[in-house]
Amino acid sequence: MASKEIEVAALGQKSDPPRGRLSAILGRLIDPFRRGTPPEPRPPTGFFTDTTVCIGCKACEVACKQWNQLAADGFHWSGNSYDNTEALSATSWRHVKFIEQFPPDNSPSRLVSDNFQSFGTEFSLEALLNEPKEGRWLMMSDVCKHCVTAPCQQACPTGAIIHTEFENVFIQPDICNGCSSCISACPFGVITRSSIDGHSHKCTLCYDRQRDGLVPACAKACPTESIQFGPVDQLRERARKRVEELHRRGVTAAHLYGDTASESYSRLNSFYLLVDRPSVYGLPDNPFNPWLHMKGDYARALIGGFTAIVALLAVLFVLGG
Amino acid sequence: METNSRLQTHMALSLSRSRDPKVRGSGYASEVVTKAPAWHGLVAWDMLLNGMTTGLFLVAAISELTVPDVFTSVANIAYPIALVLLLLDLLFLVFDLGDALRFHHMLRVFKPSAPMSLGTWCLTIYSLPLTVAAAISLVPVQWTTLETIRKIAVLIALLPALGSAVYKGVLLSTNSQPGWKNARWLGGYLTNSAFMLGCAEMLVLSLLMKNASAVAMLRPALGLLLGLNLVVLCLLVSDLRATLSRLYTRLEFFGVGTISAGAGLLVPVGLLLVTGSSLFILSAVTLILLGSLFIRFVIVALPHAST
Amino acid sequence: MPGLGTSLGFGAASNHPRDLANSDCILVMGSNMAESHPVGFHWPVLAQHRGAVLIHVDPRFTRTSAVADVFVKIRAGTDIAFLGGIIHYILEHERYFKEYVVHYTNAATLVADEYCEKDDMGLFAGFNRATGTYDLRPGAWEYACDTGPDGVRCLPQTDPTLQHPMCVLQILKRHYARYTPQAVSRTCGCRPEEVVKVAELLCRNSGRERTGAIAYALGWTQHSTGAQMIRAAAIIQLLLGNVGRPGGGVLALRGHACIQGATDIPVLFDTLPGYLPQPRAVSGHATLAEYLANGKSYLSRRGDVPNGLWKEDAVRGVWHDMPKFAVSLLKAWYGKAATRENDYRYEWLPKIDEDLSEMSYFFKMHKGHIRGTFLMGQNPAVGGPNARLHRDALRRLEWLVVRDFFEIESASFWYADPEGVDPKTVPTEIFLLPAASVIEKNGSFTNTERMIQWHARAVSAPGDCRSDAWFAYHLGKRLKDLYRDSSLERDAAIQHLTWDYAGDDSGTDAEPDTEKVLREINGYHLGERRQLRGPTELASDGSTACGCWIYCGIFPEKTTNLARAKSNQLHATTVYSNWAWAWPENKRIMYNRASADPLGRPWSERKKLVWWDEAAQRWTGHDVPDFEIDKAPDYRPAADAQGMAAIGGDAPFRMHPDGRGWLYVPYGLKDGPLPIFYEPLESPFLNTLVSQQSDPLTVVPADPMNQIISPGDPAYPLIATTYRLTEHYLTGAMSRFDSWLGELQPEMFVEISHELARERGAANGDWVVVSTPRGEIEARVLVTPRLKPVIVDGRPAHTVGMPIHWGYSGETVGAIVNDLSALSLDPNADIHGAKSFGCQLRVGRLQHGTPTPLPVAPMPSTADPIPDTPTAAQPAGRFRHGK
Repeated sequence: MASKEIEVAALGQKSDPPRGRLSAILGRLIDPFRRGTPPEPRPPTGFFTDTTVCIGCKACEVACKQWNQLAADGFHWSGNSYDNTEALSATSWRHVKFIEQFPPDNSPSRLVSDNFQSFGTEFSLEALLNEPKEGRWLMMSDVCKHCVTAPCQQACPTGAIIHTEFENVFIQPDICNGCSSCISACPFGVITRSSIDGHSHKCTLCYDRQRDGLVPACAKACPTESIQFGPVDQLRERARKRVEELHRRGVTAAHLYGDTASESYSRLNSFYLLVDRPSVYGLPDNPFNPWLHMKGDYARALIGGFTAIVALLAVLFVLGG
Repeated sequence: METNSRLQTHMALSLSRSRDPKVRGSGYASEVVTKAPAWHGLVAWDMLLNGMTTGLFLVAAISELTVPDVFTSVANIAYPIALVLLLLDLLFLVFDLGDALRFHHMLRVFKPSAPMSLGTWCLTIYSLPLTVAAAISLVPVQWTTLETIRKIAVLIALLPALGSAVYKGVLLSTNSQPGWKNARWLGGYLTNSAFMLGCAEMLVLSLLMKNASAVAMLRPALGLLLGLNLVVLCLLVSDLRATLSRLYTRLEFFGVGTISAGAGLLVPVGLLLVTGSSLFILSAVTLILLGSLFIRFVIVALPHAST
Repeated sequence: MPGLGTSLGFGAASNHPRDLANSDCILVMGSNMAESHPVGFHWPVLAQHRGAVLIHVDPRFTRTSAVADVFVKIRAGTDIAFLGGIIHYILEHERYFKEYVVHYTNAATLVADEYCEKDDMGLFAGFNRATGTYDLRPGAWEYACDTGPDGVRCLPQTDPTLQHPMCVLQILKRHYARYTPQAVSRTCGCRPEEVVKVAELLCRNSGRERTGAIAYALGWTQHSTGAQMIRAAAIIQLLLGNVGRPGGGVLALRGHACIQGATDIPVLFDTLPGYLPQPRAVSGHATLAEYLANGKSYLSRRGDVPNGLWKEDAVRGVWHDMPKFAVSLLKAWYGKAATRENDYRYEWLPKIDEDLSEMSYFFKMHKGHIRGTFLMGQNPAVGGPNARLHRDALRRLEWLVVRDFFEIESASFWYADPEGVDPKTVPTEIFLLPAASVIEKNGSFTNTERMIQWHARAVSAPGDCRSDAWFAYHLGKRLKDLYRDSSLERDAAIQHLTWDYAGDDSGTDAEPDTEKVLREINGYHLGERRQLRGPTELASDGSTACGCWIYCGIFPEKTTNLARAKSNQLHATTVYSNWAWAWPENKRIMYNRASADPLGRPWSERKKLVWWDEAAQRWTGHDVPDFEIDKAPDYRPAADAQGMAAIGGDAPFRMHPDGRGWLYVPYGLKDGPLPIFYEPLESPFLNTLVSQQSDPLTVVPADPMNQIISPGDPAYPLIATTYRLTEHYLTGAMSRFDSWLGELQPEMFVEISHELARERGAANGDWVVVSTPRGEIEARVLVTPRLKPVIVDGRPAHTVGMPIHWGYSGETVGAIVNDLSALSLDPNADIHGAKSFGCQLRVGRLQHGTPTPLPVAPMPSTADPIPDTPTAAQPAGRFRHGK
């Protein structure tokens, strides 16, 4: 409710006191190593995005930018339907995608039906009323998936990427040093390093708003409730019901993406309802957590090393006496 | 810059997609989902230097521990050089960060499950005893206490050095980038490479120090390691077959293969086998180094070339 | 507006957007609701979740179509044909809601013989080919009336069996007999089954248990036949019994946040606040007595009989009280100076003698007849149809005041016009004054649902930015100062204008207190020194003052501003009665008497809204009843009853003298009592339904810069249509100065189909030039299957789609689409035809510099009858104007 935000804004804001130069340098060296008390875990929250009611208005993109005061990414017209954002970036944490799906040209259905008589026996009114639309324009608001087991969090060597008390994936902006391990690890291509400050950025699931009891900016702005926010188990329940409803209405291709773990990837706390293959939406059809390979890769690396060591030792012993 | 080329790519894709009725409607299916990290030349050099420093140290240490009479003198030069190479490597790593002034944040957590963290710690821990060993190696006086300390330092540094060699390839294969994510043997190749490079460097050092017995042992060792490396490289290439065929034409592929495997491995083997002359050895090692660098550039370019 | 006004009573949405959630079937047509009203679109989506079917009929497949359950593509401008097809279906299969139609509409009313010449001609009786208009003739288009007991009243004859050949229902049947699915398909380009599909869905979802809604926007109004398209929708909704019911009605989705308010308290030349007619310089309006006696419909009458049906407006129904509204308005404006003796200074109201609508006004400007203009929050250099003519017009002004946030195109045209006009040749002196934005001032919005919401200032305006209220208030103060010592009669109006809106500070920079303005709009009792509580308290004896009678009740006490009400408590499923305030009298769904049957019982439990409480002898329900609260359903008026007493207990449409919804409109519309399908003014196709090609009453100012394409001209074979995108707003004066919005749609583009692209050799992203006789523009082309052409009369109807948002000011700039459109006025609302006109397209770019020069209008003669502004009214020194 808007009244809640007025309440919150009325609370005072605390800011850091000013520092001298030496103190600042020491602070930069020492502060990252300080540890606070981690907050009590809260019920996991996330997004359920129902793409069937997305109208591609991009209010989510703008609300996110406005709340987080992110710079514009620049003006370039893509020619790809109405998608001029083109990708998530360090300053675009929401990205609405558009997919036009229409039958090929000169399909016969667009020609006037010469045989049509006002409804008689050859012509089924019920079939007519239930015929599906000839084409589709799929729209989807892409965002960080906030994976329950997140490869970016697993990769991060500085510990900047954490799961918050809401089980959302969050990059602590004062810790990240821009090593880009997270960028290479994310199978969804979400995180990007900013060329302005050199750090990696992505959706924070409005951690600051959540802590004050507010709803994330994008969910708040979404006019058709395509983006729904709340406790994840409630969202999953709602999502399943919605899929059943769509199946009943004949949208048999409707399915959920990321609401349950697969063999190769964990659950996503920001999951989707899609009506086509995930790759059509620019999502991996079978997301794979790279850490499944890690142990094997280390083993192979050690094999590579040990074979070399054995060969070397052999030569040294044979020739060295 | 980046945005303009992305625009051009998109326009080109859009153009082709909009003309081909079969492809229309497939949305974003033909686009690469992942984002490539901004790892370019610096990382290729880092891979080479990493292999050179850890390899040099490990081969020197192993040689010194097994045949100390022959190799101690060489090792005394090897350790400081390894240290220099390590420092250079660390410098490249720091500059490759988005925010170099925060490099110390890497030591904020110890997270062995993250290859980058494991690598950072291994490199850090490796550097400390290496510094001690290198420093002692440069001291002209011979005190037994110093020698013992040196030996202990070398022993302590063995495991972290191995870890430092091992982590790099696993870092690149434990992610979602096209090409890298399929490179199961990348860790194996780079680790094996490290030893091969280290042996090559030791051979050159031995040659320059006119340590004929060292050269006599290291020459066949290097030949053997080159052969092993070729095997591991083939394993790596078979991992990357799908990606490489997508990126390179047959001709390009053979060209790349010739330069990397041929010039970088086979020819040196030939050169080493033929004769023990310094010229041949030095040319062999040069080819090895260049070939290895070239392979690393190809590896680093994989996700970017896929876009 | 006139479409709904004549059909139902008020020219405003009957229901509210949230009510769409209660619909069982929603037809969105002439609207791209998801893109233009995304927040309001929440409600149709909610309706879908509840099982409603959402239908979208449009020339393009848009973001609304993407979510709709049913999409039908029609050629732009053929909406009346399609709606006619639906009416045909309803009548042929007798699917109308019989009880509703008989009692609540004029279906049973008999029409006098002369209303139609010949059906296939597409004209009505009285068309004068010489003048191009319909003559005023005795009895033309009117009901068949019996004379009343006093000899001057008109009592319409009726046939409740609906069988009489001249009853409205039978007339409708005959009139729409030609709109068979095949005939409709031939001209619209849809399949005949699709007409049946939409009609059937609407029929199934109407009646006692179910209701359907129709939502439209500028896709209908911006046509030469706009008012008639809306009429056709109103006919459908009346036949199906959906008006005045929850989830029903006709929802006019307005194009601006406060445009409803801009017509309620109008800046229109032909209306006074509350839709009172602006007096004209004609004999019937010479005095106040005549003005009031002739009533609201004097100017729109058809039959020139002194006491024809049109006069009934002044006798029966709400408009009988017009004297109370008009006198109270004059008292509000002129205060003590207005007395009964001087006819409340009626003489001070300007009497207009010509069309002074926006386009006519700019056309006069283009001819050099206007010396200065104030532009407040308007951007005609880009938004005006035939924008080149508009910019030429601006260049002819001596002075121009522009109030806006940014230097919009209408302020920078003198140096930045893409045609490369030399600034040295532009005589206009421009004053650009910075404006305060909505969050920087106190005020109100009146939106689509007639709801007035107050907004309070959140931050102070920066620097010199001031609100429009501040500007108007201080301008008025200065004018009053300048004219204070004048003894000329013509200056008396300004001298005596009530102008006490001072805010708390009294400095020259002080903001006025806009709540004082709203209090005056609400009205007050002069003697008793209190606010009025509702329009029933208005008097015509000068004891009350009221700035706008339909808003009366919004400020019932001195400290109670109901526009500020913020209770979000919901009444049953439909109405938030205590959130802000809606006119009239906080009725959220107008005509809601129709939600109960003639005996006052709800048509069904599921769709109950308002009903008669027999025990308490009053109307009650979920909404404020749009009816006299204690008028019993069985009340029947005496033959000589007047005012509200003349409206029966079973007559929901109390704005009409017969209390019924009008399927057939005997007066009020210039081009006919029934909608006929006319082709747009410019069309590549000939009319296949009637022989009259296009609306004969469309006004086209003749000018070399305003050449019109003849029907079927092969040089311009394509159909241009213009529209909005969600990402930008209007001419981009607000949105293209914001990089967050600019990056979402950074460039002007033109949408065409793959078929047209192949024909023209265009690839996605190429530069193309679109041209009309008015001008040429260049833009990138977006080739998309969503604009696949329909087949009309055997050949494809290619559409060229163009968003309207670009100009030459702002962070992103692009071609001005209105350089292509023509200046033409629809006969009823003076709106231009932006949604369908002719054009040509080719691959390539404009030649650098100016495009092919079009003939320029000659400069006006200096022997001008415009009087000089007196030096007393000019600021000392500084500038001269006059000769």
